[in-house]
Parts: sequence; C-alpha cells; structure tokens
Amino acid sequence: MDTQNPAVLVNGDLLRNYVGTRVRTVIQVVRPDAGGLTGRSTDEKQIVVKGTLPSPLTTFVEVIGVADTAQSIRAEIVTNFGDAFDTNNFNQLCQLANGDYRHLFI
Amino acid sequence: MNFSESQFDDGSQTSYSPAAAVKAKFLSFYVSSSSSSSSSSSVLNYLQYLQNRDTFGLIPLTVKQISEASHSGDDKSSFNVSGVDVVNVSVVGMVFNIVERNLDVTFTIDDGTRKLDCKRCYIHIMSDLMRQGIYVHVDGHLKSYKGEKHVAVFSVRPLTNFDEITFHFIACIHNHMHTSKVHKIRGDGEYMNLTPNTPILNGANGFMSTQSSQISVPFIFYGVKGVDQMGVHTDELAKKLKLPINKIMESIRTLEDEGVIYASIDEFNYKAVEVD
Repeated sequence: MDTQNPAVLVNGDLLRNYVGTRVRTVIQVVRPDAGGLTGRSTDEKQIVVKGTLPSPLTTFVEVIGVADTAQSIRAEIVTNFGDAFDTNNFNQLCQLANGDYRHLFI
Repeated sequence: MNFSESQFDDGSQTSYSPAAAVKAKFLSFYVSSSSSSSSSSSVLNYLQYLQNRDTFGLIPLTVKQISEASHSGDDKSSFNVSGVDVVNVSVVGMVFNIVERNLDVTFTIDDGTRKLDCKRCYIHIMSDLMRQGIYVHVDGHLKSYKGEKHVAVFSVRPLTNFDEITFHFIACIHNHMHTSKVHKIRGDGEYMNLTPNTPILNGANGFMSTQSSQISVPFIFYGVKGVDQMGVHTDELAKKLKLPINKIMESIRTLEDEGVIYASIDEFNYKAVEVD
C-alpha cells in the first residue's frame, strides 16, 4: 500500500466519485479475466479489476489501487479475503466513511 | 463472531488491571519512605507508566486519528483524541517494513488512512507469523519520540477473519460518536450535547425523550432552562453550544420535521413541543 496516499473506502456506487484517486474496496469474484478479474461490489455493482492477482483466488478479495473509471480499478494490491465476508456491514461502513465520519479516514 | 482470540501474543497485553493499580499504590508508599532519590524517581516513572497503562483501556482508532492526536497532561504521557485522553490504542492494518533485531522487531502498519510505526520488544514467534502485506490487529501503548508517534506493541496477531477490519472501523466510528457525546456542560443556563435518545427540556420542567431518525444528526440541543414564551434564538444556541449556525439550523430542521420543536415568534426562535 502506498503509505503516502490514503486509499478511500468505496463501494461500487462511491467509486465514481474517486476516479483517478487511490481507493480500496472488497468485491466478490465473478470470473477471472485476461489481466484481471470481474467482480461484484458490496452494493451489487460490477467492477473490473486490472492487475496482478493472488493464486488461487478466494470468493472475496480486497482491491487497493487507482480508480481508472467509475467501474474499474487498476490494482496495486489484491488480497484474498476468504470465502465468507459480511458485504452488508462493509457497504454501510463505506457510506459512513464517506459521510459524516469521513474526517476519521481521509 | 469472536474477534478476541489472541493466537500469538505472549500474554503481556494489559488493558485494565486492578491488581497492578494496587501494586502501584504499594510501591508508591514504599518509594515515599525510601531515602534514595535517584532510584525513587525511576520507580516513580515506572509507576506512572504502569498507572497510565492500566488506567486507560484500549481505544480503537484509525491511524489518521492517531496522527492528529496532541499531547495531553503535564508529563505528556498520554495523547488527546477528540477531547479524550488516550494511552493504549488498537489498530488494524497491513504490515510493511518489518525489521528484526536482537531484542525487538519494528514494522509499519497501514490501515489505508495513514501509516504508523510499531515496535515489539522480545520477539516471540513473531518471525514465523509476521510477513509483509498481511493484515494484523495491533494493541499497544501510544508514544512519541522526537515528535514522531509510534506504538509500543503489547499484542500483535494476524487476522483470520477479515470482517474484523470492518468491525474495527465501525468501532472507531462508535468510539468517536461516544466521545463526542461526553462533551457536556451541566448547570443552570447551560447546555448538553445530546444523543438521539437524550431527554429534551420542554419548558415546563418536565422532560420527554426523543428519538432522532437520523443517525447523522449529532447535535440535538437542549432548551435553556427558564426559557420564556419566545423560545430560544438560534444565535444563542450557536453561542452556547459553540457550533456553527449551519449545524444548528441542520439540527433544527430535523427536529422540526420530527415534530419535536416549533418556530415560536419567528424563524429564528424555537421552542420544544410540550407533552402532557
């Protein structure tokens, strides 16, 4: 993780607000692609990840990287988060971390 | 879901220990009876460290919050975060820059908000478990050296359930909300900084409780004791609560929508709804 720049906690909907900046999110892997993977965000949006992936992949992965577009991330670090992850809690955390409690994170 | 399992710490983690407090008091009595000033000062320093370590529990914080903490107290042994003294902290993040030495290991933890240096004395099976890029939960004593903050680690353990990352950040938010509520002033003509469930003065020395439907409204204001028929002016609320007027108006709109308060003589004066 680039420790000089914080990575904003985002879900699929929030990603479009941070195009060009460092973000971090957790997605469910839908299918591996050439050079990356296609996943589903915690708010059910499709996100494409480009970059080096761990092998093998678990069901959920955390992606830290730069948002290329509103639906894609150029990954710097991809971490396996296992096959069980509470997406609802993470989704609500993203909303809080970008809302009234943004100052605790960014 | 249990996040309290500590697989790899050596049992030196201390969050709150009444036994240590008793020990500190005994040593304090012993030191005061001692004729050796140099040894007593070093013992007193240790006593203070011990008391601080055992008086304050573990506070979950983001590294950004830690980076913005200021020193508190004359001895600067603790830090102030959101108006509350903090000594021991709990952080969750990714490990980088592990450096192992004979008696200790240092590493950097990055939780996505900032980075923080950590130091763990007396390496205990850490080298087998710690590696670059894994997520860990760190508990330790927050310190500062030459203006740079770092954590003297009590306990460090790799995460096995990644919901703990979400849980930790939620705990940071909850702690921040709680410490924000703690800032209250008591006495005649003064105000309280309230939670959504805190009673509201209705002007007739009675109270009613209200529940705000918006968790994002942190400031629900009291009426001033002894409020007259005109109600309370928004400027006075801003002055007493030391809040910007836009925050006051935001809260007023929410409470007005919920039927808790109403504009009395004009749009700048408000009173609480009386409840029989």
